[in-house]
Amino acid sequence: MAATGPLDSLGGAAAKWFEELDDRGVFITDDQLIVRRWNHWLAAQTGRRPEDVVGRPLFELFPDLVARGLDASYRDALGGEVRMLSQRFHKFLLPITRSFHGAGLTEMAQSARIEPLRHDDGIIGTITLIEDVTERVISERELRNQIAASERARQMAEEASRLKDEFLATLSHEIRTPLNAVIGWTRILQTQPSVRSRAHALEVIERNAMSQMRLVEDLLDMARIISGKLRLKIDAVSLIDVAQAAVDVVAPGAAAKRVVIETAFAADLPAVSGDSERLQQVVWNLLSNALKFTPSGGRIYLEIVQDGSSLRLSVRDNGQGVSPDFIPYVFDRFRQADASASRRHGGLGLGLSLVRQIVELHGGSVGVESGGVKQGSLFWVTLPAVPELERRAAPRPPAAEPVTLNGVSILIVDDETDARELLMAMLENFGASVRATGRAEDALKMLESGEFEPDVLVSDVGMADTDGFALIRSIRKLASLKTRSLPAIAVTAYANPEDRVRALVAGYQNHIPKPVDSNALAAAIAQLVAG
Amino acid sequence: MELTAVQQDALVELLNIGFGRAAASLSQLTGHRVLLEVPQVTLQAVDRVGDALERVVHGHVASVHQIFNGPVAGDALLILDEAGAAILKELLTSEPALPLAIDASAREVITEIGNILLNACLGTFGNLLKVQVTFSVPHLSIENVAAILESLKVGHEGVRYALVVHAGFRLRDTQVTGYMVIVLSVASLDRLIRAVEDWERSQS
Repeated sequence: MAATGPLDSLGGAAAKWFEELDDRGVFITDDQLIVRRWNHWLAAQTGRRPEDVVGRPLFELFPDLVARGLDASYRDALGGEVRMLSQRFHKFLLPITRSFHGAGLTEMAQSARIEPLRHDDGIIGTITLIEDVTERVISERELRNQIAASERARQMAEEASRLKDEFLATLSHEIRTPLNAVIGWTRILQTQPSVRSRAHALEVIERNAMSQMRLVEDLLDMARIISGKLRLKIDAVSLIDVAQAAVDVVAPGAAAKRVVIETAFAADLPAVSGDSERLQQVVWNLLSNALKFTPSGGRIYLEIVQDGSSLRLSVRDNGQGVSPDFIPYVFDRFRQADASASRRHGGLGLGLSLVRQIVELHGGSVGVESGGVKQGSLFWVTLPAVPELERRAAPRPPAAEPVTLNGVSILIVDDETDARELLMAMLENFGASVRATGRAEDALKMLESGEFEPDVLVSDVGMADTDGFALIRSIRKLASLKTRSLPAIAVTAYANPEDRVRALVAGYQNHIPKPVDSNALAAAIAQLVAG
Repeated sequence: MELTAVQQDALVELLNIGFGRAAASLSQLTGHRVLLEVPQVTLQAVDRVGDALERVVHGHVASVHQIFNGPVAGDALLILDEAGAAILKELLTSEPALPLAIDASAREVITEIGNILLNACLGTFGNLLKVQVTFSVPHLSIENVAAILESLKVGHEGVRYALVVHAGFRLRDTQVTGYMVIVLSVASLDRLIRAVEDWERSQS
């Protein structure tokens, strides 16, 4: 064979180098594509020794090359062209099976190059170089996955940020709306003190203040849930009692809108294990949501049935419904189907999110079904039942006995004039005799000198100069035993459980969060005085 | 030196045969229908090529460079701007592109495509001249146009000309434009043009 001459004349040193090249595969064919050289690397990787391969036609050894059309590349090489075979398009040149750190690749990933072998002016064969690029392919795949993952994370962060922006816009709108009513009617009261408008003005102001308080409470609840600080007071609860209580709260609003609320409660339902106040919040939110989206003259059905080992409460309305696109997001925080300024329905978009969070804290689940826009919707909640426990009525708030503070003397310390005057007015209403000061130092002087000997101290905590913590610590160090042991209540806008603990540790007997419920404050004072 | 209209038409026709061959190879390779638009050819002194290319490709470009030898000898380049190279690779492999500098697999893909395209066209010239053209191993670099053209001057004296071929790839409703630059000595160019004219006469 004419080509064997030059091929066999490959010098001894060059031949040795070629054979021992151990980081890639090299083989040489003659111009008939019969294998003439086969290096160690190929022998080791393919398991075929040079003596098994040399002298045999390449396409007989690897018929797969023809099946994959790579015989054309060898013909091109014999015609003087170089062929690059990228791993991406060809995966490999010669099938070499190996496992790679469990990365799941069974074929070694290869890139290859096929070149003409020239001698004098002619082409006497081909040289093929094969490189193992398995590790490279794996690391590129990982890099690509990481980039894709960080891209997804970025999109989610952008989405979250957009939702928060929308939420803030909604929030400022929702906070301003009741304030407009409060401020507007207050001005009217100041200028037109007629009795008829006065009653109406007070009613409007109270309604708006209450609506704003609910808004703030929703926000605080959401903050507690996000930070994992919402604690449930678990008890065996009658879901029917809870639902009925929620219906009672919503009823006036429904009546005003001429919406009928129908209830259907199955008989002999077991209790659920839960926090009755929170569950009432769940039902109330579902009902208010239904009411919000039900047109005047519509109907809302509230149903509770047993569903295996759970109770299922559902609220169905024939209102606006939910578009299928929005269904997956209905219970998401800050989500509203229409966040545009022109939307007809108020609210923060927190209610349903609170529903889900609270229900999930109870080990239950929530869901929504809707035929689509204008088809009404069905919201349901399931809660695990506690059949083994004797069913107990949900603890209703104890019927408030009228509290009086007749003859009780109280010292109020608050540096905000409005808040101080409000506290004075509230407590005087209960019959207490009240003195108030805006500075902790003055209060301390009054007590130290015995100028005023109150039965109870009611103090704000966050005050300029000396704060409420410092005040109570000073009082607890006074000489007079009576003054030193003066019962004290902290009143603060810091409504977290830790704030309560801080107040108690500092020396207060009780802690009442702002906005102050006058009945709660009076009851707390009465309890301290009695104790 | 300028091409006559006849020479220009004949070159376009020949290159189109090469493009057809390359498009068929690329379609088979990638499993997608790859079309190469009818090429446009201009002849320019090599010193002028840089200015002309910098008007159409910007910043860093990916170039696949092969030296060819035989009775007609010179340098052949396929030039794609980096965005074009990334799009081409993405379209052909259905994989999101990484920057070429860190994506060895993408560089291989571009090298293989450039190799196919350059060999198809120059192979057509070889067939025409009935001579064998041999090629160096293709080399991919990512540089600006000026640096690439500067590297072609090394070891060459005298005036050289470049056939600049506008190559439009079309696949999956997207177009990617590349430029093929074939740099020849005056002697090689003469030989090529004479052969092209002979071929043109034999066709009519």
